[in-house]
Amino acid sequence: MTDTRELTLCEAIREAYIDEMRRDERVFMMGVSIQAGSFPHTKDLTPEFGTHRVVDTPLAEPAIAGAAIGAAQEGLRPIVDFMYAGFSYYAGSEVFMQASQYYFLHGSQLPLPLVFVGTCGVGRRVANEHSTLPYGALIHHPGIKVCMPSTPYDAKGLMKAAIRENNPVFFLWHTSMMSFKGHVPTDDYVVPLGKADVKREGTDVTVLTAGMQVHTALKTAEKLKDEISIEVIDARSFEPFDRDALFKSLEKTTRLVIVDEDFERAGFSAEISAQVMEHGYDLLDAPVKRVCHPNFPIPGGYMDVYTMPTVEKVESAIRDVCR
Amino acid sequence: MQTTAVAAASKRGKASPLTDEQKILLFRNLMLAMALDRMMMRVIRAGRMVGFYHEGGIALAPGVAAGTFLRKEDILWPHYRAHGLAHMLAKGIDVKLYVAEHMGREAGCCKGRSSFHFSFPQDHVFGLSGNIGANFPMVVGYGFAAKYKKTDQVVMNCSGDGSYGEGRAHEALLISALWKLPVVFWLENNGMAQHSGEQDLFPGKEISVLAAGYGIPAMKVDGQDLFACAETALAAIAHTRSGKGPIFIECRTLRAQEHSVGNLNNEGPVKRDQKLMDEWKATRDPLKIAAARLIEEGLLTETVFTEWQAEADKQADAMDEFSEASPKAMPSVEELYTQVYAGKGN
Repeated sequence: MTDTRELTLCEAIREAYIDEMRRDERVFMMGVSIQAGSFPHTKDLTPEFGTHRVVDTPLAEPAIAGAAIGAAQEGLRPIVDFMYAGFSYYAGSEVFMQASQYYFLHGSQLPLPLVFVGTCGVGRRVANEHSTLPYGALIHHPGIKVCMPSTPYDAKGLMKAAIRENNPVFFLWHTSMMSFKGHVPTDDYVVPLGKADVKREGTDVTVLTAGMQVHTALKTAEKLKDEISIEVIDARSFEPFDRDALFKSLEKTTRLVIVDEDFERAGFSAEISAQVMEHGYDLLDAPVKRVCHPNFPIPGGYMDVYTMPTVEKVESAIRDVCR
Repeated sequence: MQTTAVAAASKRGKASPLTDEQKILLFRNLMLAMALDRMMMRVIRAGRMVGFYHEGGIALAPGVAAGTFLRKEDILWPHYRAHGLAHMLAKGIDVKLYVAEHMGREAGCCKGRSSFHFSFPQDHVFGLSGNIGANFPMVVGYGFAAKYKKTDQVVMNCSGDGSYGEGRAHEALLISALWKLPVVFWLENNGMAQHSGEQDLFPGKEISVLAAGYGIPAMKVDGQDLFACAETALAAIAHTRSGKGPIFIECRTLRAQEHSVGNLNNEGPVKRDQKLMDEWKATRDPLKIAAARLIEEGLLTETVFTEWQAEADKQADAMDEFSEASPKAMPSVEELYTQVYAGKGN
């Protein structure tokens, strides 16, 4: 047994940065006000690593994202913190077109090891730019890997895997989980990209989700435990997606609810529904049900009750597939 | 701070820092670049090219000058006129592989799948982008990496006037100045972006004045004068390599043809003046200007010119033949699926 301590999600990410920057001199970080630490995961890194490895930049997302690509082409392993993932949309060409597709388009010769980091999530009443979850848009573009942790353990392990990965990775974390605590080992470990995790075992219904919504699903499962046995699968990676883990679960439960905080239309949940339809139709005893953000922009103010997946909404979807 | 200045320093009477050997190298590079440009035009007109071609015409002297004095480890981002062939051959890159790429062949530098993009990572040339201005963020990364690794690499960032409409250009000027990055902002200004003239795109006459706002020294040069461009490139590379930070060079050149082959040749709603373009070709051709200078200096004769020209054309034709001989790249879908992600990481 290795030693563990309780860390917050942000502290766990920060430990991954520290471990990997100690391990590999080519790893450095760039972003707006990361030295001060707009969020705690980049706080107080300069005393050990200096301002040349933890680099504050002007507010110029395209330049920062493109600089990561250029630096990776010249042999470094950059981490770019966009602060809010919504800010990465400024760098659409760099993220969707250049970083994601460079390797394939240029003859699969030169790997592009780089990590984009952004926080996201609905429910803080701060409207679209500070909330939007870009994983649906990201996985639409082949060539970039995308992950989001639901626990500090996964956060550290996924971040370490992302930094060691030889491809662009967009690492998302949920703003509401900043101070969420959990046990994290002191020893070196990674959580491989493309490996889902069964966060609760069950036999009647599979709930596939990720990030913050893993906890909504777990709360729902606990609430219904005497009635319906619910298996909660944390995707952890949206690309590559662990379809085997999902299908293994569906063989048992034959019923699927997808809880996705991103927009319903053409997103992760739509993609997985289609994959299940095409490749796992025979596994199902009921149509797939989704709980997603409605197809209108993420509003600010008090309207998050309409937009957040809640235990009630997830429960209702679970009851639907059990009918 | 030097905001403008220099220019045709190579005018007769002024001592040139270029050796005779360098002049001849530059001249032959330009000759080959223009021969390749003609060959590429023949290939696309014969319907043998996949994708676009943007003719270089009489605008290739700046590219040759930008590439000729770079070291292998220096980073080059070519301008897209003549698809960077002039810049790359001048840097010593085996451009026949890029010709093959244009023809979608297995021998192509990107396995025939990139159309007109390119990649010679071993030569520190990483790609062309159809998204104009995509170079600017990347060059920040190249410059940053050079400083991070404490090398004395220079980043030759070539682009056209149109690209300075992109916010990315201004971000790159800002960050390069702020971090004193070793970037040469090498502007090949032909006064036209697609089908729009500079008066409709910029408030002033010179784009290099932008550099002053960021504290970046700037120089202007006649882009039809190969040796003037080369002298300026030498000065810019020396400035940048010595750790003085970025420098901005504006080469004023000409677009004597349409934007891309088979396209409109308008300036706004108005057709461009064919007579004027023909006059430029007759009087402002950089190879003719350079040849006259070499003949005057006793470094070239008409006979040698003809011999070298034939050699350049032969080399260009050989690249076409090399490409034609390579099979069309048509890997299976299954194989392409294996090419999206790089293998195991660190």
